[in-house]
Amino acid sequence: MSDLVAGLSPGMILSAAVAAGALGLWLLLPRGQRGRAERVSRWLGAVLGVTALVGLAATGRRLGGLGEEAVFLLVSIVAVVSGAATVVCRSPVYAAIWFALALTGVAGVLLVLGAQFLGVATIVVYAGAILVMFLFVLMLAQPAGLAPYDRVSNEPLLSAVTGAVLLGLLTLAIGRVSAGPPVCCRLPSKAAALSGSEPAELPAAAGDALAADHVARLGAELFGRHLLAVEAAGLLLLVALVGSIAIVSRGTADSAPAGGRAAS
Amino acid sequence: MNPAALLHDALLVGAILFALGLVGILARRNLIVMFLSAELMLQGISVSLVAWSRHHGDWGGQVLVIFVLTVAACEAALALVFVLQAFARTGRLDAAAWQALREANLPRAVDHGLPAVDSLPLTFPRLTPAGVLPETDDELLQREHV
Amino acid sequence: MSSTSPLTLLVLVPLLPLVAALVGVVFGRRLGGWAHLPAVVGIGASAVVSLALLAGTAERVKSAGTGADSAAPVSVEGVTTLWQWATVERAELPAALPPAGTGAFSIPVALRLDPLTATMLAIITCVGLLVAIYSTGYMHGDPGYPRFFVLVSMFVFSMTMLVAASNFLLVYVFWEAVGACSYLLIGFWYTKPEAARAAKKAFLVNRIGDFGLAVATFLLWMTYGTLNFHDVTLGDGTLVPGILGQARLGDAAGYVGGTIGAAICLLLLLAACGKSAQLPLHVWLPDAMEGPTPASALIHAATMVTAGIYLVARCAPMFMACPDALAAVSVVGATTALVAALIGTVQNDLKRVLAYSTISQLGYMFASLGTGTLLGFSAAIFHLVTHAFFKALLFLGAGSVMHSMGGVIDMRRFGGLRRIMPVTAATFLVGSLALAGVAPFAGFFSKDEILAALHGKGWPHAHAETHEAGPAHHAAVEPTVFPGANTAAGARFASFRRADDQGADRSPGTLDRPATWRILFWMSLVSAGLTAFYTFRAVFMTFTGPTRVPDEAGHHAHESPLPMTGPLLVLALASAVSGWWLFATHALSDFLAATPSFAAPAVAATAVPHAFHVDLAVQGSLAAAIGIVVAAFGHLGRRSDGPQMERFLGPLQVLFSQKFFIDQIYAALIVKPLLALAYLAALVDRLVVDGLVDALARVPAGLGAIVRRLQSGLLQRYALAGALGTLLVVLALTWRMRG
Repeated sequence: MSDLVAGLSPGMILSAAVAAGALGLWLLLPRGQRGRAERVSRWLGAVLGVTALVGLAATGRRLGGLGEEAVFLLVSIVAVVSGAATVVCRSPVYAAIWFALALTGVAGVLLVLGAQFLGVATIVVYAGAILVMFLFVLMLAQPAGLAPYDRVSNEPLLSAVTGAVLLGLLTLAIGRVSAGPPVCCRLPSKAAALSGSEPAELPAAAGDALAADHVARLGAELFGRHLLAVEAAGLLLLVALVGSIAIVSRGTADSAPAGGRAAS
Repeated sequence: MNPAALLHDALLVGAILFALGLVGILARRNLIVMFLSAELMLQGISVSLVAWSRHHGDWGGQVLVIFVLTVAACEAALALVFVLQAFARTGRLDAAAWQALREANLPRAVDHGLPAVDSLPLTFPRLTPAGVLPETDDELLQREHV
Repeated sequence: MSSTSPLTLLVLVPLLPLVAALVGVVFGRRLGGWAHLPAVVGIGASAVVSLALLAGTAERVKSAGTGADSAAPVSVEGVTTLWQWATVERAELPAALPPAGTGAFSIPVALRLDPLTATMLAIITCVGLLVAIYSTGYMHGDPGYPRFFVLVSMFVFSMTMLVAASNFLLVYVFWEAVGACSYLLIGFWYTKPEAARAAKKAFLVNRIGDFGLAVATFLLWMTYGTLNFHDVTLGDGTLVPGILGQARLGDAAGYVGGTIGAAICLLLLLAACGKSAQLPLHVWLPDAMEGPTPASALIHAATMVTAGIYLVARCAPMFMACPDALAAVSVVGATTALVAALIGTVQNDLKRVLAYSTISQLGYMFASLGTGTLLGFSAAIFHLVTHAFFKALLFLGAGSVMHSMGGVIDMRRFGGLRRIMPVTAATFLVGSLALAGVAPFAGFFSKDEILAALHGKGWPHAHAETHEAGPAHHAAVEPTVFPGANTAAGARFASFRRADDQGADRSPGTLDRPATWRILFWMSLVSAGLTAFYTFRAVFMTFTGPTRVPDEAGHHAHESPLPMTGPLLVLALASAVSGWWLFATHALSDFLAATPSFAAPAVAATAVPHAFHVDLAVQGSLAAAIGIVVAAFGHLGRRSDGPQMERFLGPLQVLFSQKFFIDQIYAALIVKPLLALAYLAALVDRLVVDGLVDALARVPAGLGAIVRRLQSGLLQRYALAGALGTLLVVLALTWRMRG
């Protein structure tokens, strides 16, 4: 895509994109304005943000067919735009809703990448459980109307610049990394030693999004190679459960019962 | 699909999500929105991990994403418990409410020139009444704004 | 000359008081009322030994005189070296004069016995003994009783070592030591602010003199290559001639004249002025009367102040090489004598009168020393001896009066004390007659000799007929000749002398002219009259007239006890008899003529036969008589408590009573500028130095204050800082990647 814009070096495009992104984010972040000024800055920020995204996308690659490209573009746009909206939205409830939409986009990306289980698990766990928990807390704790601290940001310019520059550097790194041929993509020794199944099939299974036994293979991998980690993760969940209940019940004993049990 | 291109694009998406999440943590003062941004960062990382997993043909990335999911769940539970405790003490979900660890001779940072609390222009749909309206306390039933 | 037993006794003389001092330090407190015992025994034994040494030395002088050629001057000395104190191999010297090939700087602790030393030792120890006995009565009941006797013993030790030492550095050490003992004794009652101040003043003014002695010592080393008085023969047979040793004394060109010589002599004069309280360094002596009276009698009358006289007398051959320096000595002495006498006429404090009298008499001695004749030198020492007797007597008498009057010493507050204290009155009268120079008491003869010396310089032709024996004395024969000494010394100093025009010959300098000497003679005569006046003014005011006793006396107003009156009687006898006896027998002058310093050809050449100058005696007695008559007119009998003579002086009275404003001049020129400098230094220290340190201390605090603002307590600012840091790391990594 970099050859679309002839005459401009990729470095310059990237720098322009970074600058536009920083400025756009800064404009979008809540800075204590009201009314007309706020609307103008939001629109301007949106425009700049879109421009930045376009510039970043220009460093991307052609995926192959038009269909694949369209699908990937759709889901990634959903994810990114919703993510941006999460960050800049004034009302935290709206931010939570946008986050749900971002999760959907991320799930789509994961599906395109062939991680069927993970795509669905993202929706189920994140949007279904974690997000609902956030909403519960908001219900309990959010004041009526927009709180003053929702209308201002902490160091908006510096944060925006940090994020944008970091993104630019990461893009550079990604471009460099993926420029060469894929390295160690087979890993036959690992796959053969642990799962014991045919090594040649695994890559295909990992890459093929519609493989029938994808989940089974993932499960085999999980409980085969990473059994200990699974047990540890289960223990962690238990600890978190017990801990959160303990803190809440002590807090209830000390102060006013502002929050009941946090749903887990 | 071109594997290299897929990798590149997926990594790019992951990086964008990560950067957005970072900005959210640094900039927003509402504790809930801060945690939402943290989750957004985790989403970006998940995308990157899965992209690498597909690139290498190794399940390890996806397994790691599962663990990230698990840990994120635990973290969210505990974090929200702490947020509620914090709210119980200060009555606000403001990250800037906690400044007691500053240097002794520094003044407390306060907001200047804040606009008054502004409510979003929300309108609720008006439904045609059906049946008899119950005798209830309007205050309790309806929260005006969120 | 080489018999050991006199020299062993010589070591005993300072050793016994030192042991007494140490015993007093260790056991003083336990001895309590008997604390005087070590001091009296030690000094007494030392006195006995020094008298034995005196007799022995006199014996040797007589035997040496009769054996050798009677025309040649006799020189008697004995040196004993106790141990080598310091040696520096290969000390740096100017290339022109390596002392006989060695470059070593060595200081032996050596004591030398010769007639001058023997005389001074006898005086110091005998007067010291009398003062110690007197102090048992005077200091009775004082809480510092043991300390006093320790200090007196220390002083006697230091003074005896000073006059016996045979090395200039050793002299300097004990010069300082007597200064320290003087300081401790003046400030004996240290809780009294005036005493502490007076002690400090004495020490500081003496420092100026000590500086002169130190620089003179340096110059002596640079000029003569050694600091010893005596000659030293090294192990390999080479001779290192001492500064006042036989080798150099016999050498006609032995001493350096010109600029260096004058510098050395004037610096030695400065040292002597400091110690002997001559103009302008005399300001400490009147204030030193704050100390106990026995201490004043010992130190500031008889012994310590005579150290300056001793030094100049000892270095007579050096002074002879610089006629201008000699004349300067006389000028200083005579001027001091006159000025001090004038100030003494208006003093109302009995001890102050005696203090100024001491300064005046010391001035006489310096005037006599400066004449540069054998008569002058021996007259000065003669006057030193007689002055020690009668001045100690007067001071002890004043102490007796003070003791009876309960500490009051202002003459206007008491009178007619001869009825209460007859012994004190009688002895005081004897001492006053001696001081005034009334025949046949001691002071008459010594003062007469001094006037004769001055007269001889002022009117040389009047004494020409007495000089026919002069040329014979030019044959400079020394008792022993050291081979090679003369040639080495002569060649060495010849090179020095070629650089200067004035040499060791007696060509008159710019100051050394008969006119100068005439003026000095008349000044001395006037001073003699004034001396008689103020002395008898004090006598009449104190002892004649109606008996008045101040209230502080209480029940003390009676004659002093025996320990106090005994020494008074002994000293009165000495004052009455010693002058006549020593003069008539010429014992002292013949004895002193055998001192190596005075037997040097330069000095011995000026010898004149003994004569009693009737005309000068008449002039002196007339001056004394006029003084006594005027004093009687003003203060005798009923007039002793009336208006004083100074009402006739008019504005001069202010000048005299303010001591010629010398103290005020010192304060304005030296003390106040130094105080201002000290204040300035304190200011700089506080503002600049401390300010700099404080400013430096504020730098970390300031930097910290800047950095502290980062720690705001706001969580998101910390996270932002972390993110920026991470960004920098990623930037660095990316930078390296692109390369």
